[in-house]
Amino acid sequence: MTQDDFDRLQGLLASRAGFRLGRDRIHLAEHRLAPVARREGFDSVDAMLQTLWVKPVASLGWAVIEAMLNPETWFRRDRAVFDTFAGELLPAISRVRPGGRVQVWSAGCSTGQEAYSLAMGALSAGVTADIVATDLSQRAIDKARSGLFSAFEIQRGLSARTMLDWFEPAEDAWSAVPRLKDAVRFARHNLLDAPTDGARFDVILCRNVLADVDPAQRGQIVDHLERRLMDDGVLILGAEERIEGDTMAFRAVGGRKGLYVKAPSALSRAA
Amino acid sequence: MGGEAARRFLPLGDVSLVEVRTCLIVDDSRIIRKVARRIVEGLGFEVDEAADGVEALTHCGGLMPDVILLDWNMPVMDGMGFLKRLREQPGGDRPKVLFCTIETAPERIAEALGAGADDYVMKPFDGEILQSKLSEVGAV
Repeated sequence: MTQDDFDRLQGLLASRAGFRLGRDRIHLAEHRLAPVARREGFDSVDAMLQTLWVKPVASLGWAVIEAMLNPETWFRRDRAVFDTFAGELLPAISRVRPGGRVQVWSAGCSTGQEAYSLAMGALSAGVTADIVATDLSQRAIDKARSGLFSAFEIQRGLSARTMLDWFEPAEDAWSAVPRLKDAVRFARHNLLDAPTDGARFDVILCRNVLADVDPAQRGQIVDHLERRLMDDGVLILGAEERIEGDTMAFRAVGGRKGLYVKAPSALSRAA
Repeated sequence: MGGEAARRFLPLGDVSLVEVRTCLIVDDSRIIRKVARRIVEGLGFEVDEAADGVEALTHCGGLMPDVILLDWNMPVMDGMGFLKRLREQPGGDRPKVLFCTIETAPERIAEALGAGADDYVMKPFDGEILQSKLSEVGAV
């Protein structure tokens, strides 16, 4: 991959996905794109990129973009968040919602471990939650929807007891039981796209996504999340993530890492 | 020894003492012990090894570890035999015991948990899995 190819790749990821590909990632790019080139029938990464630059076919472009996103996730990552979600947020919100239904969005769900962790918490707590999970990567969504996890994936973050309660062996993998699979609805979504409908959520999790976002586009994504969040809803970021520099619309919840609620100034338009 | 688990202390300067967490790795494979040792040492544990259940029981009689990684199939005394005897010993309820075996059948996993294991790890495992398992049982 030439430096010129890499510069163009950086531009593609920033403009289409808001994803900041660090300057030191050229070797990672070659490594991640090699399987894409093979799958798409090209002799090499270079040949694939030349074709893409000359004739930017959407499907090939997205295949390239997807391969460069950060798929890192595991069950109950930063465990405290899931205990707060199931033990405090769900019961409190459920009490003040019609029929006790709580609307939850896992934004940037990768291969689904976060969404299934939320669903296990809701089902165990006996709270009715509609859980929507989205990611930019169609491949990640397909895997998430399958509910299949390798022995490595299933053991990362889940105790054996929890694993036995919610998953069953399926050849070399573990498959979410139907009750768990049915509790999450997966869909592809680009966080750069402005909301086009009135769907609103009580809890939005967008964890370890903004850290990889181009600083110029963080504000836009946070604004979209804010428009999707109920006025008394909660936004949950990664434990170490902060958005004070990107928005005036949220304020951090004291003592709870990663939790944000709407600032009073952001509530005015609802009045 | 009484019911109290023995503890090792690492002198730090001459005023304070830092408690060192201990882990006993029980496996008849020297290679598995070596791999597991590297991982748990990386998590800050002081490690001892035993090659079967009898060796492990002898060790626990002298020094009850904080965590035990336990293979199932071993010569002399297997993991299940060890676990039952361990839990009957004074202070034997203290260590967090994680079975680490190649058995992946749900009924076998349930059997191990029913016998008093705190968690269960299917081989092969890596550092990320072990760290998350130890964190779920509150050992790290």
